[in-house]
Amino acid sequence: MSVAVVKHPFVEALVSGGRALPAAPASWLNQRRAAALERANALSVPTTRNEEWRFTDLAPLTRLRVAAPAVAAGAVDVAPYVVPEAVARLVFVDGVPVPALNARCALPTGVMVGTLAAGLKTHATAIENHLARHAGFEQQLFAALNTAWLRDGAFVHISKNVALAEPLHILNIATREDTAACPRCLIVAESGAQCTIIEDYVTATGDAYFNNAVTEIVVAPNAQVRHVRAQRESLNAVHIATCAVSLAKDAAYISQSIAFGARLSRYNLDIVQQGEGARTEIDGLALISGKQVADTHSFMDHAFAHGRMIQLHKTIVGGEAHAVFNGKVMVREGAQLTNAAQQSRNLLLSSKARVDTKPQLEIFADDVKCAHGAAVGQLDAEQLFYLKSRGLPEAQARNLLTYAFGAEIVDRVPVKSLVAQFERAIMAQTGSGV
Amino acid sequence: MSTTAAIEQLVNQPYQHGFVTDIESETAPKGLNEDIIRFISAKKNEPEWLLEFRLKAYRHWLTMTPPEWPNVKYPPVDFQAITYYAAPKSKKKLKSMDEVDPELLKTFEKLGVPMNERAALAGVAVDVIFDSVSVATTYKQKLADVGIIFCSISEAVREHPELIRQYIGSVVPTGDNFYAALNSAVFTDGSFCFIPKGVKCPMELSTYFRINTQESGQFERTLIVAEEGASVSYLEGCTAPKFDTNQLHAAVVELVALDNADIKYSTVQNWYAGDEKGVGGIYNFVTKRGLCKGVNSRISWTQVETGSAITWKYPSCVLRGDNSVGEFYSVALTNHYQQADTGTKMIHIGKNTRSTIISKGISAGHSNNSYRGLVRIVPTAAGARNYSQCDSMLIGTKCGANTFPYIDVRNPTGKVEHEATTSKIGEDQLFYFQSRGIGAEEAVSMIINGFCKDVFQQLPMEFAVEATKLLGLKLEGSVG
Repeated sequence: MSVAVVKHPFVEALVSGGRALPAAPASWLNQRRAAALERANALSVPTTRNEEWRFTDLAPLTRLRVAAPAVAAGAVDVAPYVVPEAVARLVFVDGVPVPALNARCALPTGVMVGTLAAGLKTHATAIENHLARHAGFEQQLFAALNTAWLRDGAFVHISKNVALAEPLHILNIATREDTAACPRCLIVAESGAQCTIIEDYVTATGDAYFNNAVTEIVVAPNAQVRHVRAQRESLNAVHIATCAVSLAKDAAYISQSIAFGARLSRYNLDIVQQGEGARTEIDGLALISGKQVADTHSFMDHAFAHGRMIQLHKTIVGGEAHAVFNGKVMVREGAQLTNAAQQSRNLLLSSKARVDTKPQLEIFADDVKCAHGAAVGQLDAEQLFYLKSRGLPEAQARNLLTYAFGAEIVDRVPVKSLVAQFERAIMAQTGSGV
Repeated sequence: MSTTAAIEQLVNQPYQHGFVTDIESETAPKGLNEDIIRFISAKKNEPEWLLEFRLKAYRHWLTMTPPEWPNVKYPPVDFQAITYYAAPKSKKKLKSMDEVDPELLKTFEKLGVPMNERAALAGVAVDVIFDSVSVATTYKQKLADVGIIFCSISEAVREHPELIRQYIGSVVPTGDNFYAALNSAVFTDGSFCFIPKGVKCPMELSTYFRINTQESGQFERTLIVAEEGASVSYLEGCTAPKFDTNQLHAAVVELVALDNADIKYSTVQNWYAGDEKGVGGIYNFVTKRGLCKGVNSRISWTQVETGSAITWKYPSCVLRGDNSVGEFYSVALTNHYQQADTGTKMIHIGKNTRSTIISKGISAGHSNNSYRGLVRIVPTAAGARNYSQCDSMLIGTKCGANTFPYIDVRNPTGKVEHEATTSKIGEDQLFYFQSRGIGAEEAVSMIINGFCKDVFQQLPMEFAVEATKLLGLKLEGSVG
């Protein structure tokens, strides 16, 4: 009996786009692309019968008629997205680097910010060692599609013991309807290095398009990477992203991922410990309404002792929106003295809003401290009453409480101008009476 | 009607290929097909509708595949290698307590099982047990006086077909899941309990049940119905170790609570878990579900799971009536190579429904213990409330403890809270006990009982005492 493989237009478009790519200068890259292409061809599109996609229906994506983007992009104004604190900005329009829109101040030696193509000339070994090595594509259709498509992307390399206090801004702008883009990003922090990366997805259009992003972050011993991820796609777009983080001994990864946009978004955050004592702090906020679906899947793999992890994921769900959180914490045999705490907090604002949350613990070591908690509810009636007793109108009181709920995450973002932007976005959304 | 007659004729005719001999006439051949189901049904003189119920379940079962999502590993079960019907053979009765296996007696001693019950549990012929016949008869009389029906499912099908027909499969439909469908097709016996309107069951049904303990069979079916304002407490199983040659057990339990009714269902499960190497042991794949059909009804599940090589069960509550309450209290202990994937489902449909989940998992040896639970609040369940707490304790470095809660909320007035922790027995706790002159093993037993207290409090008193001792017994030698 043969199983009919259902192919969807977006898969076809990306696979044929991958085939049409010119050969890369490095043969290992061609090999990895070919391997990914083979997997992308073999894997079927996940359905809700698949446990990992149980609550997230890919229908909005399969309905999309996307094509691989044309080479030239129109003129784009980056002014609205500028982050003044950033010392360098790398711009990609519909997945294609646009050097004319880049900006940079004088960077200390040992800091490389550029495209993968440029990086291949200066940091060939680092790229070969890490690119498409961390974001597995054997079983992951979307990572395979992205890798098969790998042409260029953002590359950040911080040399040993270089601490860069100011953030680096990687700006992805979507401008056209019915395009499919595969943004790619590789961040390597050598031992003792420190940096802050802003991975930003914005839109200049309200159209439907598909962004399929993959980011790989490599944190060497004693290094620290702060990662701010903002997903502000069009409300008709589909955004699917994978971020694979590899943490060496005593490395630290601290991230805030904020999702406001997209008709359908899915963020896979996979963190693997490669040495003892690694520290992870991951926060997430999804603020959605209308018919939006925001799905976050995080996987924290503790394979070595003394790991610490703290996670707080919040969602604010209005309209008929649907938020999904699946957080898995794995403590493998031998990962003794791991300390992991995970929280999922969800606020429902309307009668048709829906939340599915599934925090998971899998523990195979006995001397550990692991806890998780999940809560779903609406605004506290007593708090509302208190604010109203102080003369605030109902709507304003609700907005204030909703804002405060979201602000806990937003305030942790280490970039002031972004905090202000996110706060305005929360106000705008809650103010529109979701 | 003519088809019924034809089927009956067909089924009742002497089997021409010779397998129906005088000795084997009570046993169906191995394997499963529609003829076997007709055979079972005919053997039990079942009405036509029940045969249809079985066949419908069987046809649905054929289209299904065994679930693969539980976090347990086992070789595929060969469903054609099972004998689906064997008339209950009368076991060789022992003449006195002296003939009982001394190991078994030692276990009774440790658990503190009352003297007169030990004999019954060990299989000593009832007539040599002092006074127990009269005890059982008294109980039966007492129940009948208030109108409670408590009998085997087969008896109920004969005596009260209208009740069975109304309620069987109403909570767990025939096609609910793979093992429930199998059970619906081939169940051979089980218990039926009906508490009429306004009646509070005068005793824990456990007391009665223990004295009348009987071979429940591989595919057990239990149905409990509590009418308006009725209440009952039912206990299944017992702490005494139970050996059984059947490896696969697929039971179905259905509870129905009408307006203001209250059902409390407690389980103590200590089936053979396999040896220290994980060889043998029973696969316990059970579907248990209660329906709070009426307003203000309440269903409470309490389970202490210590046996079986693999446990796969999720006693659930469907809270349909407004203000209904669902509760789940569980202690699951796994040792050696045991695997348990257990938890609950709370489906909130009615307004102001409330549910509480308290789950305590203890894993030792090379075992794997998972909590898997679902809390769903559908759009109609305004003001629904859930509180879940899942704690795991690991003893040793080779075992695993997992928590998989699913929370699905579609009503903003719903409030769901879930908490889970994982810990081990602290060195300092042990040190404190030892400094007070309490040995390590006893200290561990005390700490574990403290850990499980919230659940044991829900058990009928005498079982709570036995369950406490049972945990200590199961963990013997795994610490220190």
